[in-house]
Amino acid sequence: MADPVSASDTAATTALSLRSLYKDFGGTRALDGASLEVTKGSIHGLVGQNGAGKSTLIKILAGLHRPDGGTISVHGTLQDHPTPHRAESLGIHFIHQERLLVPSFTVGEALFVGQENLAGTTRLLNRRKLQAKAASVLRERFDIGLPADALIGDLTVAQQQIVQITRALLAKPSILVFDEPTAALVKREVHVLLETIRRLREQGLTIVYISHYLTEIEAICDRVTVLRNGKDVATVDPRVTSASEVASLMIARNVTELFPKQVIQLGEPILKVKGLARSPAFTDVSFTIRRGEIVGLTGLLGSGAKELVRSLFGLERPHQGTIEIDGAVRSIPTPNTAVENGIALVPEDRRGQSIAADLPVRENIGLASLRRFSRLGLVKRKREKAHSDRLIERLGIRTAGGEAPVKSLSGGNQQKVALAKWLSRQSSLYILDEPTIGVDIGAKADIYRLVGELATNGAGILILSTDLIELTGICDRVLVMFRGRMIGDFGAATTSGDEIFDAVTGAGEVQHVG
Amino acid sequence: MSVSYSAAAVDQRSAFASGETPARPARRPVHRSLLRTGSLLAFIAVFVAFSLASPLFLTFTNIATVIGQSAIVGILAFGLTSVIIGGGSDVVRGGIDLSLASNLGLGSAVYASLIQAGYGDATAIVATLAVGLSVGLVNAVSIVGIGILPLLATVAVMNICSGLELVLTQNTAISVSTPWLDLLSGADRFGIPYLAYAIGAVAAVLIVALQYTAYGLRLYAVGEHREAARAAGLPVPAYVVSSYLISGLCGGIAAILYTALLSGSTTGSSEMLLPVVATALLGNVFSGRLLPTIGGTLLSTLLIGFLANGFQLLHVSSYWVSGIQGLLILSVVAATSLARRRRS
Repeated sequence: MADPVSASDTAATTALSLRSLYKDFGGTRALDGASLEVTKGSIHGLVGQNGAGKSTLIKILAGLHRPDGGTISVHGTLQDHPTPHRAESLGIHFIHQERLLVPSFTVGEALFVGQENLAGTTRLLNRRKLQAKAASVLRERFDIGLPADALIGDLTVAQQQIVQITRALLAKPSILVFDEPTAALVKREVHVLLETIRRLREQGLTIVYISHYLTEIEAICDRVTVLRNGKDVATVDPRVTSASEVASLMIARNVTELFPKQVIQLGEPILKVKGLARSPAFTDVSFTIRRGEIVGLTGLLGSGAKELVRSLFGLERPHQGTIEIDGAVRSIPTPNTAVENGIALVPEDRRGQSIAADLPVRENIGLASLRRFSRLGLVKRKREKAHSDRLIERLGIRTAGGEAPVKSLSGGNQQKVALAKWLSRQSSLYILDEPTIGVDIGAKADIYRLVGELATNGAGILILSTDLIELTGICDRVLVMFRGRMIGDFGAATTSGDEIFDAVTGAGEVQHVG
Repeated sequence: MSVSYSAAAVDQRSAFASGETPARPARRPVHRSLLRTGSLLAFIAVFVAFSLASPLFLTFTNIATVIGQSAIVGILAFGLTSVIIGGGSDVVRGGIDLSLASNLGLGSAVYASLIQAGYGDATAIVATLAVGLSVGLVNAVSIVGIGILPLLATVAVMNICSGLELVLTQNTAISVSTPWLDLLSGADRFGIPYLAYAIGAVAAVLIVALQYTAYGLRLYAVGEHREAARAAGLPVPAYVVSSYLISGLCGGIAAILYTALLSGSTTGSSEMLLPVVATALLGNVFSGRLLPTIGGTLLSTLLIGFLANGFQLLHVSSYWVSGIQGLLILSVVAATSLARRRRS
């Protein structure tokens, strides 16, 4: 098309137009002028790293957040104040990652609860009608037959997802937004879902598809918009632009040099994992961490990385394989044995698992090593205080004092307290789960310095993170999990973030040994 | 370097083209239906065993009497069931109404006091039902409005009701007798107690309301998966409130029957709380999906009633009955929670 398209034509072919959206959350800019233009009847992909602004964008579209600036138009009409109800009445529906269906309901009940009239039954329920209508809708839309009396909880995840989609379709939407729909699916179920989404396009629906998996994006999307740091950096045709190119668009690089990697002398292996499996989360995982080594571990939700870490700390039991610590095979049935074996875990969910928010900083720091400060079962408060004051100083924890409750601290400083708690124990293997999530850049640098210090003192470090800059910046090696298998072991110094990203998203299933 | 990802995509496309059938058929777990069938068999076994052991058991009058005797606990258990449906069956955070027995005590005291003060039955009935509904409303406001855990809120309300009952009765029994109360405590010409009709009527109304209407389906959605209910656009708080109102009303109805049966109000209604909770929990096993249902609660009410009656006929000490009840509940709750855990 050589001629510029006239404004009215654009309105006629554009289902959704978000222009220059801005959104701040207490000083952090989540969206920085992001735009998204979706053509009617197309499948439009939306990709970006964690924190790129995808979910903020989608929440604004759903009416859950108000943008600080920018415009939203749906089918050519400008929308002022979107609310969740408004979004639905405009025909925009969302399929979320988690399935919002009642597990004890039959397929028919789950499809029609709250919209019983669509099955032709009103006050008094006609269950037979409900089931019959459900069966016919499912057959019509997806050509699948589910037993009419099957309960949602007995269906496979993929089947549940189809029920969820069908439920949304009953409201006759014009735009369907899929938010990471495949995270909990196995490969074969992913195929079915993608085919389903194509069918929906054939039926004239406009689809926004958000996913970390670039193969999926390539397989079904007509266009893909890449978000980075709250901005749309490019909108490309995924059939022309390769996944590697899309991946490199997603990664900002100039920040990388902020955290220089220290050179640390590597010692004996502290952790040796051989053929570890916990079905269905992961199978046949083997790797080694040496003293002084910082090893990164990454993977998408559902890759098994999280479960692997939980198994190492005794929170889940592996079905197969061995764990060697300091050269001796150990079984780690409980977190308690993990701690006895010198393993420390700093979990991702600070508030839920790693700190007692109402207790003072001092008590939190001493919590994991009370025996060290105790005599005859009584805690020696003076010793605990001296120790915690030292750590507060060393880690640069910004607090009103050792007696301030941890909840009064900023996220980054809370995380430092969580680390300090385990520092007091002098473990030989530290597992850090997303150590810098929700942490400002200054605290990040402090945490990285601390990790380096631990390694220098001869501990092994395993960092579970989805932040590739962080991983390539501070780790010696990066292990990549993909759908339950360890598919890569990259030497961080010799690998680019792009290559790791390809592996994480399944864009290139290659084995690198670094 | 990296394998081009379009190759992977081609592989996906061929999978589409081959028209691979999407999903394996849903498998219906056996343990759930086993549990239900087992419980029904146990019910029948209890029935048959007592019939063989005592010639007095399987007689029309005896059966009718047991049903009548079970009416009060049964109706209270229906109230509790509706609260568990709307609040979810999590024992700690889910729906529960521990104020039911005290609600009944207060209602009965109000009924008896009004009659004693010279008011008619109609006034007393209206007042008692209003007391029941108000108690339900107070529960609902503390739980939905203020956000107190149902367990704690209804314990507090239980104490308030017991306190008011004591204030009203000065901790004495109030004997009253009116033609209506006498009629209610009696039996028709076939020997069927009117209380048996009462539990039948309440059960029928609630079964229709909770099992066969859109309202009921939505109430289950609210209790079973609050987020899903919200996503379905349901006004979740309104549904939870309604379940406590049903429960309060059941307390009021039971209070009238209680007053009739005992010809007045007596202290000690709170002893009914545990049997009520037990009955409602036991009801889950009689539902195909291991959910609280009015029908299931009706069956468990009768089962417990027949057990007590059978032991009585066999001259077994009534002390055994509560022990066996406890055992039943323990095994049932264990079995259902195991079966439900598998589902999630």
